[in-house]
Amino acid sequence: MTPTRRTLFMGAAALAAARVLTPDKAYAARAMAATVDWSLATADVEGDVAPRALTLVQGRAPAGLSGSLYRNGPAKFRRPGGSAQHWFDGDGLIRRWRIEDGQATLAARFADTPKRRQEAEVGAMLMPGFGTVADPRAKIGSADDASPANTSVHKVGGKLWALWEAGSPLAMDPETLATEGFVALRPDLKNMPFLAHPRIEPDGRIWNLGVNGRQAMVWRLAADGGLEAAEVIALPRASYIHDFSATAKHLVIVLQPWVHTRNVMPISAGFEWTPQAGTQVLVIDKSDLTQRRIYELPPFGFFHAGDAWEEADGTIRLDLCAHKDMDFAARGAHEVLNGVPLGGEPAELAMVVLEPSGRGRLERTGAVGEFPRSDPRRAGLARRFSLHTTGERADRPLASAVGVTDWASGRTRSFDFGSGHVTDEMVYVPKPGGVHEAEAWLVGPTINLKAGVSELHVLDLMHVEDGPVATWRADVALPAAFHGNWV
Amino acid sequence: MTRILAVAALLALASPALAQSADSRLTLTFETGAETGAVMVAIYDAEAAYEGGAPARVARVDVAAGQREAVFDLPAGAYGMKAFHDVNGNGKMDVNPFGMPTEPFAFSNNAVGNMGPAKWDRARFEVSGATAQTIRIR
Repeated sequence: MTPTRRTLFMGAAALAAARVLTPDKAYAARAMAATVDWSLATADVEGDVAPRALTLVQGRAPAGLSGSLYRNGPAKFRRPGGSAQHWFDGDGLIRRWRIEDGQATLAARFADTPKRRQEAEVGAMLMPGFGTVADPRAKIGSADDASPANTSVHKVGGKLWALWEAGSPLAMDPETLATEGFVALRPDLKNMPFLAHPRIEPDGRIWNLGVNGRQAMVWRLAADGGLEAAEVIALPRASYIHDFSATAKHLVIVLQPWVHTRNVMPISAGFEWTPQAGTQVLVIDKSDLTQRRIYELPPFGFFHAGDAWEEADGTIRLDLCAHKDMDFAARGAHEVLNGVPLGGEPAELAMVVLEPSGRGRLERTGAVGEFPRSDPRRAGLARRFSLHTTGERADRPLASAVGVTDWASGRTRSFDFGSGHVTDEMVYVPKPGGVHEAEAWLVGPTINLKAGVSELHVLDLMHVEDGPVATWRADVALPAAFHGNWV
Repeated sequence: MTRILAVAALLALASPALAQSADSRLTLTFETGAETGAVMVAIYDAEAAYEGGAPARVARVDVAAGQREAVFDLPAGAYGMKAFHDVNGNGKMDVNPFGMPTEPFAFSNNAVGNMGPAKWDRARFEVSGATAQTIRIR
């Protein structure tokens, strides 16, 4: 058939429409039209959140529970002149959930970064990131200029350190949440990367990595943040490293087969999934970084590992949230920004076992799990419990439940807040005077999607399946955050 | 950053700029974050030179001795400037173990690059008659 002017025109119009309404946007539009408004999980917060009291809506504050949960996560993605393209690239909002004298309060402030200042002035998101390409107008003299400081927050030496993974820690005031500036751990180590997942020994000593392709800086800091040692090590491959682990004696660096192969932007586009290469685990002696051993495991992807430990015979164990591949990083986290269900398999809680013989294996649990946490007093030491989010499904973004996995019994107990909630990472808080690992609370927020507000929950580790012993409700909704710590 | 390093190597050998007879005078004033060492300055008179060739003039501003200015007598025209502050006075621009600068650097117009040194289009400026720029290098 000879194409007529009309069919040509219609074809062009259809093509133009397809360009505007890409499949994922069409999918997003459908998802958004459903009963629950997912968009709160990745919504923009327009400014700092002044300190405010929360309303107790269920149970009561457990006696003796007192402290602050500092959390960090992206909360500004969109500006009129241009927006971030990936969930990992929004501006860090540092939230302080405080429980004191039976009452709870919330305050939150953005990390006041050079990135945020420049973008506010121009009215566009400019900076390159994990999944976002730089705007030509961006002014970037160092990695810190592009830092959203959005991944985690630790209290170090009386300051908060808002952490990203490609730049320096950003110091903030723990009371006012005011930003003070980037931390140079030594003048000659300025502008070195510092991962957002340091491993903290029970006495407070901090181990961390800063990764650059096939080399990594191994940082060792005193509990007050003072630098004790900094040494560059070679890595056998240029894996994407978001997190690592450590026993009391060893660093345990899992090298997934998502490997940097191209110098392109955004960062995530430079990595390639190479399952044929398997996953390697590099074990390094903390007291002599030249002493190393490599284990070969079947291929799996991951973001997050738990604290590792060693058994009497030298077997190393660590819990880890195993992904089938890294499609979430490469593609899924773009879609989460639009509230799109991923359609992929959620991560599975698993145990990496490294035997003294040199054999390594991944023991899967069958339980869905992400954001693993455990007792900080037992970091690097034998332990029984992992806390984690769960209930994530292919047809909805993010998790709705929180779980406790008991490695002694292999059993996972969980509480599902229901499809009307998005759960954040929850942290382990020891009960005052408690010595047994089970004597603890889980503390963390959810977004109540139906009420359109954030909530703070306390659950008893031994009775997690019974749900919160206390729930407070805020009068604002804060988007999903990544990581934080109880102080 | 490799180009900055190349310039740094060149400047390590530089002697103070000699004022030459020309029709325009450029005065650069450096606001430094440290009181030690010296600011090494390179002036380029064309894009190709700026992006990887030889400077037209170089200067060493002895910060430790209280100097903050570099003065160049130049033919009127378009120029670009690169500078770094050799804070510890070891004659080179220090970098961290991953090759990123740890000493302050700056470009004319106080231009900042986009993942790399500021390009000519951001750093280019006209020298005509008495021309002055204050450069923040901290």
